[in-house]
Amino acid sequence: MREKQIDKLKDYKYGFTTDIENIRAPKGLSKEVIEFISKAKKEPKWMLDWRMKAFERLKNLKEPNWQKPKYPKIDYQDIYYYSAPKSTSTKPKNIDELDPKLLETYKKLGIPLQEQQRLNGIAVDAVFDSVSVATTFKDKLNEVGVIFCSISEAIQKHPELVKKYIGSVIPLTDHYFATLNSAVFTDGSFVYIPPGVRCPMELSTYFRINASQTGQFERTLIIADKGSYVSYLEGCTAPMRDENQLHAANVELVALDDAEIKYSTVQNWYPGDENGKGGIYNFVTKRGLCKGTNSKISWTQVETGSAITWKYPSCVLQGDNSIGEFYSIAITNNYQKADTGTKMIHLGKNTKSKIISKGISAGFSDMTYRGLVDISSKAKNSRNYTQCDSLLMGNKCGAHTVPYIKNKNPESNIAHEATTSKISEEQLYYCQQRGLNPEEAVGLIVNGFCKEVLQQLPMEFAVEAQKLVGISLEGSVG
Amino acid sequence: MLKIKNLKADVESKSILNNFNLEIKPGEVHAIMGPNGSGKSTLSNILSGKKGYDVSGEILFENKNLFELETEERAHKGIFLAFQYPLEIPGVNTNIFLKTSLNAIKKARGEKELDAIEFLKLVKLKAKELKFDEEKLNRQLNVGFSGGEKKKNEILQMSILNPKLSILDETDSGLDIDALKIVADGVNSLRKKDNSFLIITHYQRLLDYIKPDYVHVLMNGHIIKSGGPELALELENKGYENFN
Amino acid sequence: MEEQLKIDFEKLLENSNFSKKNAEIKRKNFDNFIEKGFPNRREENWKFSDLNQIISKNIKNLSFYNDLSKPNKIDQSIYIDGLEHNKLVFVNGRIEKIEFDYEEKNKIEILDDLVLEKSNNTTNSLLFLNNAFVSKYFKLIVKKNYSLQKPLVIYNITNKDLVSKNINLKVDIFLEENSSLKLIEFSNDKSTTNFININYNFNVQKNSILKNYKIDNNSNSNIKYCFNNISQDANSVSEIFLLSSGSEFIKNEINCNLNGKYSSAFVNGVFILNETKHHEIKTNINHIVENTKSYQLIKGVLEDTSKAVYQGKIFVDSKAQKTDGYQLSKAILLNDNTEFNAKPELEIYADDVKCSHGSASGSLNEDSIFYLMSRGLNYKEAKKLLINGFLLDVVEKITDSEIKNLIKNIMSLKQ
Repeated sequence: MREKQIDKLKDYKYGFTTDIENIRAPKGLSKEVIEFISKAKKEPKWMLDWRMKAFERLKNLKEPNWQKPKYPKIDYQDIYYYSAPKSTSTKPKNIDELDPKLLETYKKLGIPLQEQQRLNGIAVDAVFDSVSVATTFKDKLNEVGVIFCSISEAIQKHPELVKKYIGSVIPLTDHYFATLNSAVFTDGSFVYIPPGVRCPMELSTYFRINASQTGQFERTLIIADKGSYVSYLEGCTAPMRDENQLHAANVELVALDDAEIKYSTVQNWYPGDENGKGGIYNFVTKRGLCKGTNSKISWTQVETGSAITWKYPSCVLQGDNSIGEFYSIAITNNYQKADTGTKMIHLGKNTKSKIISKGISAGFSDMTYRGLVDISSKAKNSRNYTQCDSLLMGNKCGAHTVPYIKNKNPESNIAHEATTSKISEEQLYYCQQRGLNPEEAVGLIVNGFCKEVLQQLPMEFAVEAQKLVGISLEGSVG
Repeated sequence: MLKIKNLKADVESKSILNNFNLEIKPGEVHAIMGPNGSGKSTLSNILSGKKGYDVSGEILFENKNLFELETEERAHKGIFLAFQYPLEIPGVNTNIFLKTSLNAIKKARGEKELDAIEFLKLVKLKAKELKFDEEKLNRQLNVGFSGGEKKKNEILQMSILNPKLSILDETDSGLDIDALKIVADGVNSLRKKDNSFLIITHYQRLLDYIKPDYVHVLMNGHIIKSGGPELALELENKGYENFN
Repeated sequence: MEEQLKIDFEKLLENSNFSKKNAEIKRKNFDNFIEKGFPNRREENWKFSDLNQIISKNIKNLSFYNDLSKPNKIDQSIYIDGLEHNKLVFVNGRIEKIEFDYEEKNKIEILDDLVLEKSNNTTNSLLFLNNAFVSKYFKLIVKKNYSLQKPLVIYNITNKDLVSKNINLKVDIFLEENSSLKLIEFSNDKSTTNFININYNFNVQKNSILKNYKIDNNSNSNIKYCFNNISQDANSVSEIFLLSSGSEFIKNEINCNLNGKYSSAFVNGVFILNETKHHEIKTNINHIVENTKSYQLIKGVLEDTSKAVYQGKIFVDSKAQKTDGYQLSKAILLNDNTEFNAKPELEIYADDVKCSHGSASGSLNEDSIFYLMSRGLNYKEAKKLLINGFLLDVVEKITDSEIKNLIKNIMSLKQ
């Protein structure tokens, strides 16, 4: 008989907390708190006005309720909207001045920030709770004119760019969580790639929620000017806590003529324990605007964490000949819930989009792919191809596919395919006969199932992501 | 090496094997021949630990009770099954699969695992020996392979994993004469004094290329006659129906 | 409109002799409808077809009370030619003929004034409307081990006298064990701008076969909704074919529960739309137990400014292992202002299942047209040939060859 029982769910590797002194805004959502945030960030008046406008609009908005995962009512007055390590109240000039505890935290997460240990070829912006604590390789990027800094810094130093593009992709009034973010966003990354520049290294932001009872509301804005290229990665983790924490980010991408943005996410927020207690509510709005002709935006996501994931990284294909892509792996285990997918809005002529979604559900979890493909009557000669595959492990979980397909253009074509399957006993047996244990076999087969998406990730991330796929499903076979 | 004593196997209370006895010593090649439905594939599945059978009796492999081992643990001990119908596993690169599997076995045996370069060297060598198109090893496991390529891929895996006991479950079915020779060459090159083979087949023709030490006839769930290679020819002439 | 509804409802109660219980249930349904109103796009089910808007745009002064005291003449010229069949004829919502000339009389039972039952419907406001205003509630029972010799055609005729009315029909069809029925629903409308609301409940018992062909082919300005609830026992088969073409608006909704092992459901449909027509097919196939099968194929050809919608859902319960579910929708858009919307949905809670769906829409393949033209056809002929080929594929799924030929004739698809 089986001697080595499959290990119980492994501990969430990133579940530690950093004991660090914080400065917090008073609890709750109010005009005063927004003023506090704006003041802490030394923002100009136009920014505060913009936040206030969002706050006003928020009063008339309701939380959406069409998504499949339902969640207990969130008490918005019981959340801290701003929390920053005290040591960062005057931002250190260079990384060596940074609080050693913060350096240690990022080192433990596998993201060394110090000069000599930095990851090769990747510039990192490290966001800790509500503030960006460090950005590496800034000087090197400066040489080619690439701006990579925290959004707070950009608001001060590059107001003309921020003013022009913030809210241009996700309008202030888009929906409840996006508007909430516009009112209270704290930090995040800002990227500007000047015309004709191919960004010499991968840019990356590492988000860490540390403080308890705190929401993270980051805002990222990436602008790729004419003929430029950038590949951007984000990673996320949080400590294990038995409370649910809200993460409501806004990410806006703008690609001008002939520009390309590749945006990759490995999301591994704390998913809650095996009984579904705790974990992050990951309610994120991500949208890219292919504004220029021949522009391209490509989203790749590996979603393994969070108690509830609810996000639809989307592309508005406004420029003629523009291209939108969405590659997704979403894995839910135990009591996790995910409702994720994309929107491809075809407005320009000859626009193309491609959607590859791989959903895997195990345990008692629930997974939904929800997507919209909308080809407007002006988007002549446009194309969409969608493929959604789901894999179920056991019959206590659910897998759902909800595509909305709208075609208003006779010269355009849409093709959608979806399948649902399971790992066959025969496949498992074959792998075991070659010496793999069931967990290894499942990991291998699932990675095969996800291959089309994994190969979209930059090398350094792909390896991590493959491991993560295996770890996320631990305890689900037997 | 392998001792099967009084093996009985049922599927959903239907008897497939009964009073089945067999002993294979190191270095020996045994062939089991039998008509359709005689229990040939059941035997190979039970030896490699497939679930879904009610079994009793005893199977010892190097004096270890096989029933106590999981499928992969049997593989670690050196049992290899060349499948009658090799599985397709979409998305999984053949080379990566082979490397993962080889290293899992090496790890279980406490041997040093191969790094990517050592592994590729080994694969190159073996693929050349077996005239296996190397380019195919970069494709998804068995996906889009012809029947013959799948079978050759099984033999390639066998030669890389270098098992002690190789079970070939109707490996000859669906092979043309050139592929049959290649498969046979592969098996013959692995014949050593410590390596044993159990060749399960319906026809005699594979045995023209792989000379067995013993031939057994399996009918109605147990061996009804054993002998040397000449038994295979006798069977081919008479047919199974008249053999009783 | 609420005012009109109230007046008409009281008029209905006054002029009919409903039992006390029936009247009570009707009032309850009426109240529910008043509360909910016609569905609009804010309801997920009606996202692509805002009925409230469609009705207010197309129908002026909709009224709900129909005087059914006087018989209507049947225009016999519209009867289906060349097919021997049984008849149920409705004219302007009034039953005018029940004729089962080909059948053994004791094998069929027709009840024509059923009392409404309390239903567990909480969301479908059009069922509330139907229950409130329907004057007679029919039920057809096919007895155990009996297969009807000839198809039954339900004619749904409206004539010129009917303008801006709401007509409600409710028919239950009960197939006892080992029975079978071929049912053709054939509509013919010469009326203008009415809202016709039909509710069928099919109960298909063990080993029984239901074949249901719905033909909406003649052009008219009516707005229609047809809700079909199908409940299937073990080893039963349902086959549905929809020709969705004639009405200004029609939404056919099919809710099918596969409650018995080895039951299967086939839904095939074609949209052939022009002008401003807007049609929808919505299906809900619920696989409740193991070893059940469903197959859906929907195709559309859209011209002018027409719009077609297909919402198809496959639900698989956690007990429904070994489910086989398949769904494909395809549309050809012939003009700049046509629109095809699809929502092919899977909701799956069991792991040992085989489910897939696909959807494709786009233009006619220009290469194929070119190929045919190079063989001597002109553009129009080539186009017609390709469209016919595209649609024929669905018609070929019809298992009854006589009816298949009839439908081919109606669609002028000649081989």
